[in-house]
Amino acid sequence: MNLTTALARLLIFPGLLFAIPAAWFFLWVERKSVALMQGRVGPPFMQPFFDFIKLLGKTTPPRSGVGGLLMRAWPLIAVSAAAGAVGLLPVLPSSGGFEGDLILLLALLELPSMCIIAAGFSSRSIFGEIGSAREAVLSVAYNVVFLLAIVSIAAAQHTFRLESLAALPATPMRWLGVLALLVCLPAKLHLNPFSLPNAEQEIYSGPMVEYAGPELAMWELSHGLEWVAATGLVATLAAPYITLWWLAALVFVGIMVAIVLALSTLASATARLAIDTTVRFYWQCTLIFAVLAVSSALFMRLRS
Amino acid sequence: MNILTMLWKNLWGGNRTTLFPARPKVSAGYRGLVEFDPELCTGCAICKFRCTARAIEFKAGKGEFTWSYDPGQCTFCGRCVEGCAEHALKEGHTEHALSQESAPPPIYFRSGELKHAYTVKRKTTVKAAAPQQANAPSPSPPANSPAPGGTQ
Repeated sequence: MNLTTALARLLIFPGLLFAIPAAWFFLWVERKSVALMQGRVGPPFMQPFFDFIKLLGKTTPPRSGVGGLLMRAWPLIAVSAAAGAVGLLPVLPSSGGFEGDLILLLALLELPSMCIIAAGFSSRSIFGEIGSAREAVLSVAYNVVFLLAIVSIAAAQHTFRLESLAALPATPMRWLGVLALLVCLPAKLHLNPFSLPNAEQEIYSGPMVEYAGPELAMWELSHGLEWVAATGLVATLAAPYITLWWLAALVFVGIMVAIVLALSTLASATARLAIDTTVRFYWQCTLIFAVLAVSSALFMRLRS
Repeated sequence: MNILTMLWKNLWGGNRTTLFPARPKVSAGYRGLVEFDPELCTGCAICKFRCTARAIEFKAGKGEFTWSYDPGQCTFCGRCVEGCAEHALKEGHTEHALSQESAPPPIYFRSGELKHAYTVKRKTTVKAAAPQQANAPSPSPPANSPAPGGTQ
């Protein structure tokens, strides 16, 4: 992948030009489906876009010093990282990629979470600090499963290149890994029952409590881009290999919407769990599941 | 699994909320907006003291007083009406508040937009006959007031 291709992927497709409207669309699908399942009308189609524009037009409280600078920097880093992660997704067949881009994708997917942790502590709000602490604990808990699932898929198929993974036929091992990834997505996207870091009723959105205006708009955008990147990763691994580019893109988006709907249903059907229950869930139940996947993948690799 | 059944029913069972500007029916206990009758008001300001929402303001002047009511701030608790010994204040409807379909609480876009003020001349207690006619109250709502002394 040369520089021009990389820039085109980052800025046009599947990067910013595609990812930002897609982020708003997924945020709307999530909010609308949750509303319908709760018997409400829900927001109009353009609401996430209007929210973004409205927030951009507001003023932020003046913050001086390094703390203020950092608070302004975290949402921008989060947006850049999430947009970069989306840019790496192999939506179209033969659209580029490089050896080991899956590792970079995982790193970029993790950056927004780290920015949220840092932002909560930078805000010096007690609610922000509690939210950040929860995010840190949750991140450690689900990331073990998340990374093990990715490693098991990559080890089973002998590659860390996303495009190669998308092109290879799906094996039972990959489906096990995809299932493990799906279990981690609610925690990664702060959805019920794992919406602990941004618990609105308890800690007033935690790390976001001190944010307003364009900075909050950037956080919202980063969250939407995380939706696109995380669901896109699962769609990449779950979608069958199709040579027709338009059909491949259609199937890709269809799987992403299906995942958004499934996660929204889960979020509507469940209440927020306590932090100890959440951590126990990931460490006890899912860790076993992921270790099983890795050992099976390694066993298969030894056999082959 | 019961929760999934509930979600499925909600999904196909229609909405309980409405989109703006459609408005839900008011509840049976809704008392309606306060109506002010300047003819009966004596300017005792009991209503102002009973109004915990500070929707009613009262300013005493020389020989007259100004009574104002902001429906945007009113909680429709009815305490002002209860405390009015002269019955100068009434709830929106004689029988049961306002009609349930047509009169939900008003919409406003700026604080104080719905406020109406009435300047009323004080009634002096003169021993001579017909004091009421001599000091007849003169309501003076703002120019854009839809219905002076009535329900807004």
